[in-house]
Amino acid sequence: MQTSNEPLVIALPKGRILDEVMPLIRRAGIEPEPAFDDPGSRLLRFATNHPHISIVRVRSFDVATFVAFGAAQIGVAGNDVLLEFDYAEVYAPLDLGIGRCRLMVAEPAELRRTDDPGRWSHVRVATKYPGVTQRYFAARGVQAECIKLNGAMELAPSLGLCRRIVDLVSTGATLKANGLVEVETIAHVTSRLVVNRAALKTRPAEVGGWIRRFQEVLDAA
Amino acid sequence: MTEYSNKGLLPAGLRDGLPPQAEWEARVTERLLEGFARHGYQRVKPPLIEFEETLLAASGAPLASQMFRLMDPISQRMMGVRPDITLQVARIAETRLKDQPRPLRLSYAGQVLRVRGSQLRPERQFAQAGIELIGVATLAADLEAVLLAAVALVELGVPNPSIDLTQPMLVPALCRGLGFDAARAEAARTALDHKDAASLAAVAGEAAPLLLGLLAAAGPASPVMAVLKGLALPPEARAMVAELGRLVEEVQAAAPDLALTVDAGEYRGFEYHTGISFTLFARGVRGELGRGGRYLSGGEEPATGLTLYLDSLLRALPAPEAPRLVFLPAGTPRAAGRKLRAAGHRTLQGLDPVADVRAEARRLACSHMFRDGEIEEVDRK
Repeated sequence: MQTSNEPLVIALPKGRILDEVMPLIRRAGIEPEPAFDDPGSRLLRFATNHPHISIVRVRSFDVATFVAFGAAQIGVAGNDVLLEFDYAEVYAPLDLGIGRCRLMVAEPAELRRTDDPGRWSHVRVATKYPGVTQRYFAARGVQAECIKLNGAMELAPSLGLCRRIVDLVSTGATLKANGLVEVETIAHVTSRLVVNRAALKTRPAEVGGWIRRFQEVLDAA
Repeated sequence: MTEYSNKGLLPAGLRDGLPPQAEWEARVTERLLEGFARHGYQRVKPPLIEFEETLLAASGAPLASQMFRLMDPISQRMMGVRPDITLQVARIAETRLKDQPRPLRLSYAGQVLRVRGSQLRPERQFAQAGIELIGVATLAADLEAVLLAAVALVELGVPNPSIDLTQPMLVPALCRGLGFDAARAEAARTALDHKDAASLAAVAGEAAPLLLGLLAAAGPASPVMAVLKGLALPPEARAMVAELGRLVEEVQAAAPDLALTVDAGEYRGFEYHTGISFTLFARGVRGELGRGGRYLSGGEEPATGLTLYLDSLLRALPAPEAPRLVFLPAGTPRAAGRKLRAAGHRTLQGLDPVADVRAEARRLACSHMFRDGEIEEVDRK
């Protein structure tokens, strides 16, 4: 693969997805320095076995932002995040098939028994995804008033903040535990390999080479 | 005075150009226009504001949501502040210059204003400079625009420039060839714009191998053209690929050192283009430096254009060297100052006598000072 000495930064999401991403990264031949796996390490940027490649670990929403602005050339982000921001500068050429879940509209089970979503003209929704939520509801002729929360959306209905939420659901256990049921699916979510548009255009052999390398890793699995 | 006016807070996306950036932008703009003039492009200067309906006529519609509007108190008609200059030049070509021989070559530079900045360019006001080659829809015209862009970037000294060619009509033609309805075609186009393989595969159905092949057809020009020619495209799309291939060969022959890439699936941002288009990048610079391509001027006459965005262009250029500035202490003979300026120096006239000329020159950020008929260097630190 043609490489240059120009720095290449890979942005990875912190948390649950990282455990699923790292085997792919390693199989593609990128091995971060030992501090990467040390929970006590305060480092934010990690060197790898490739002298010009480094890895940064950031919040999943920030991966898309780092890649959109070219601060990182390559990243891994769920399409929930990509849908929310709709960055023109982010390409998502590979579906990594990990981090599977759904972006759902949910409401209390009790409300669901009498509710008819077809009659909605206005909904108030607690969500981490105001952009997607607004566009989704607008497309079906419903005005969505979004209350932006950064976590624990499931609490909102029981405490009377609003009756409905839009959130990621993987097993549905959290919903159930909070007395909520699924109403509609907005999107099926998986993690994608994302690349910065200008980086792909100006370093096509190198960035394109990494996309192909990850494709090979996926094909081999 | 209010708190805001005291501190000079500006509305979002607007900024003051200060020294030395303001002069630098103007100089780069002039150099671009001189380069265009050397290729026979004549400058036009459309107004900042004109009637809304003329700005939005024909190909202007996609910019409607980006236009500031104000009411003309005289005609009582709605006016718009230009969000782009291309369409104004097209209007000039089809009205006042309609009897000029074709092809008509025009250049322009100016500020544009948009309601919202983009994610990468939060500025609502920025400068554009460009050319329009009006009255022809041939490969030779496309080639001229692409080469002019390349020459402009090289002459300005942009490090590692590259040009990305695309054919925005290809995806719509392909969708027509595959019999997609409008909604499905749009979904396919959106997925291709994001190079979103998963969504594309879901939309494409049986045509997935073909569309995914198109998605992968992005990168260095020669291998990508080989991939494109190998795809089982419907006839209309195949003809477009063949034309793109001819342009790639001609550009490579004319500018063998140019980094040329091809991205066959790109559509976003080229909504009003009708043929081969291109985007200018520089390695390590976020966003585009400019773009161009074929469109219909006034909805009828074919044209090819090129627009450079001065803000991104300046980000791509190495910082300018501070110009030499010679401090003339008060009392320096006028003739001496004239002679220095005639020789190309910039001078700064001291107005009052000072004890320490060197310190005064340094305080006023002069690189040199004039003493005893000689120019002496001033250590700026």
